[in-house]
Amino acid sequence: MQEFLANLNKNVYNKTMNELIAVSTGLFAGTITGIVPGAGVMVAMIVATPLLMHFDIIQLLLFYMSLASMVQFTGTIPAVYLGVPGETNSLPAVIEGTKFNKRKMAKLAIGICAIGSVLGSIVAVAITFGLLSVLVEHMTVFFSNATKFYLYIFIIAFCLLVYNKKNIVVNGILCSIGFALSMPGESDISSDIRYTMGIDDLRFGVPMMPVLIGFLIVPTIAKMISTSNPNVFLPNIDIGFCKVIKHFKKKLVASSFRGSVIGYLCGFVPGVSTVLSTNASYSFEKKLHPNTPGKLLVASETANNSGQFSSMLPLLLIGIPITGSEIVLYSMLVDAGWSPFQFDNVSNNADMIFKKIVPWFVVANIVGLIIAWPLARQVLNVFANGKKYMIAILAVGMLILNTYLGVLDYRVWLYTTCLLVFGCVGLAIKKYETVPLIFMYILGNDIEGVFYRQMLI
Amino acid sequence: MKIIKMILVLCLTLPLQIANAETQEQIVLINSGKAGGSFNARTQMYKEGLIANGYDVVFENIGKISQAVEVFKKSTKPTIMVYANNQVYKQDLFHTEQNFIMLEYQQPLYICKTNASKDKSGVLTVAHGKGYDPKLLTNLLGSEVVLVPYKNSGAMLKGILGGDVDMMVNNQGKSFKYMASGEGSCEPSDVLPIMGATVIGKNIDLQKIRNVIYDITMSIEFIEYHNSRKLFRPSSTWAQELAYTQELEKGYEIK
Repeated sequence: MQEFLANLNKNVYNKTMNELIAVSTGLFAGTITGIVPGAGVMVAMIVATPLLMHFDIIQLLLFYMSLASMVQFTGTIPAVYLGVPGETNSLPAVIEGTKFNKRKMAKLAIGICAIGSVLGSIVAVAITFGLLSVLVEHMTVFFSNATKFYLYIFIIAFCLLVYNKKNIVVNGILCSIGFALSMPGESDISSDIRYTMGIDDLRFGVPMMPVLIGFLIVPTIAKMISTSNPNVFLPNIDIGFCKVIKHFKKKLVASSFRGSVIGYLCGFVPGVSTVLSTNASYSFEKKLHPNTPGKLLVASETANNSGQFSSMLPLLLIGIPITGSEIVLYSMLVDAGWSPFQFDNVSNNADMIFKKIVPWFVVANIVGLIIAWPLARQVLNVFANGKKYMIAILAVGMLILNTYLGVLDYRVWLYTTCLLVFGCVGLAIKKYETVPLIFMYILGNDIEGVFYRQMLI
Repeated sequence: MKIIKMILVLCLTLPLQIANAETQEQIVLINSGKAGGSFNARTQMYKEGLIANGYDVVFENIGKISQAVEVFKKSTKPTIMVYANNQVYKQDLFHTEQNFIMLEYQQPLYICKTNASKDKSGVLTVAHGKGYDPKLLTNLLGSEVVLVPYKNSGAMLKGILGGDVDMMVNNQGKSFKYMASGEGSCEPSDVLPIMGATVIGKNIDLQKIRNVIYDITMSIEFIEYHNSRKLFRPSSTWAQELAYTQELEKGYEIK
């Protein structure tokens, strides 16, 4: 009996340690990603690939959740202090945050954003808990091919209409390139090999890593080099924790709740989720309170965190990724053995969310609050001074990563050639958002299968 | 002081560990199964068992079966892999005296039908895995069916539960799950060929390794139905099993 209990304790300890490793590395990656302009969750996932290859399914989910949550916190720091958006959702924070900074109130802005973010996360968890039983009851609706078919039409329409300043031609070309890259090798509906152009290694498809590095990391590095780094801190008034809480309770709670609900709903929109959450909440609040930067800032930043949580639900519950970074996660989860089709028991997935993900989500938010508030300036200083080293490490790291994965996959020459080609193309099209290309490359096979089946059924 | 002590111990034992590794027989173990699946379950089992038996196991995790077969064919080292008879024609890798180690398990394919389609007449839609040859299925099921291909057994289960199709041809595990849902019923097919998973190897003494892995059995936690049952392995002689496996694989030949 004692031996059994000792083994049980050891297993629990090992599992907790593994989860802690995933969460802490996710938080660390999120801190860097939020602060480095141009870097996003998707880029961070790719950079962390060597580590993520050794993670199991729960660890991958925890890493992603911590990373994505932390980015929402720390993305506000450069936005408020430097007027540079740390991530794509931080534009409202840039507009309203700089107003605070000019009045020497940056610390107050960071403080209310951090509290709002925590509140947004709590509201998102509460709404999910309330809606879950309804969702589970009607889950088979999501199993049908028709549901997926219409969802993919929606995603493709978003890819065409949202990115690159709504330039349909550019988005169409990017989607076509992505789809073409997904074609070689086996499809999802037949095990016949196709479009290999006589290249033996293409029988197993175009490798993912060179595509991601070439079309995402290379343009990101180019943007990082060209982004000026003002690194000028204006003098700021030091405001204590209690005062910020008091200010938040007195003036910002309602805005924060509104932001949470709007952000939560917008988080489900494929392709744009948190970007839409932030901007929709910001626009709505602007109609109600046009000249109150505090309310605008809190509403958008709260929506950010709330939307981040809800955007993960379609992936966690029914296996459909709806954002670019989730697609990378999806691919890694499948490689780790996760079956997106094992949803015949959805209540198990719901159970997993509330027992494994939510507790760590709370921890991630508390750490985010600490890092994004009292330590904000210190964190920013460290990274602002080491930009050139970071670029060099990133570039060399990606080269090594690509070669390493190529060797593991027995296709090192194909990996290297693809990296060279895609890197050059990525550099040439660096001014465009390549998310539609990545979407179609990763989901192309599944989209083809869903459309084909829809024709047959 | 403790750190220095640890470094000293490490330095002293390292050559010993390297020497041990050099004397161990190395074996490449190819895993072409996703976690939660039968192939992965068995490969993981062999990994642990071979290590416990003193082998230096090089574990190669390869997601796609075609890629795994390619690696197996090219390997110049002692290599083993879990394989299945329904793949032999597609992968051009048959069970022979030069590669057969043992038959791991066998199961019939199941045909499941939704409750809603029980009285349906006319053309029926049938979900099948993309690995199955449509010609073979049409020959066996008749021409009054529309074959709807899915990526794998899990996708098929999801499709039939979502109301995409009237029937599905699936493995035992997913068919049991479907029956448990109460949405339809399944029966083992007497016309579709029996699926048999095997262990194959090359550059290795097949009989010797068979004796080693035959006794590897353990209870491991798996994601799907494997967590509740012990792994089952039929017992017979090597020659009988090979003959039986070769007979089974002929069922997948398209006539």
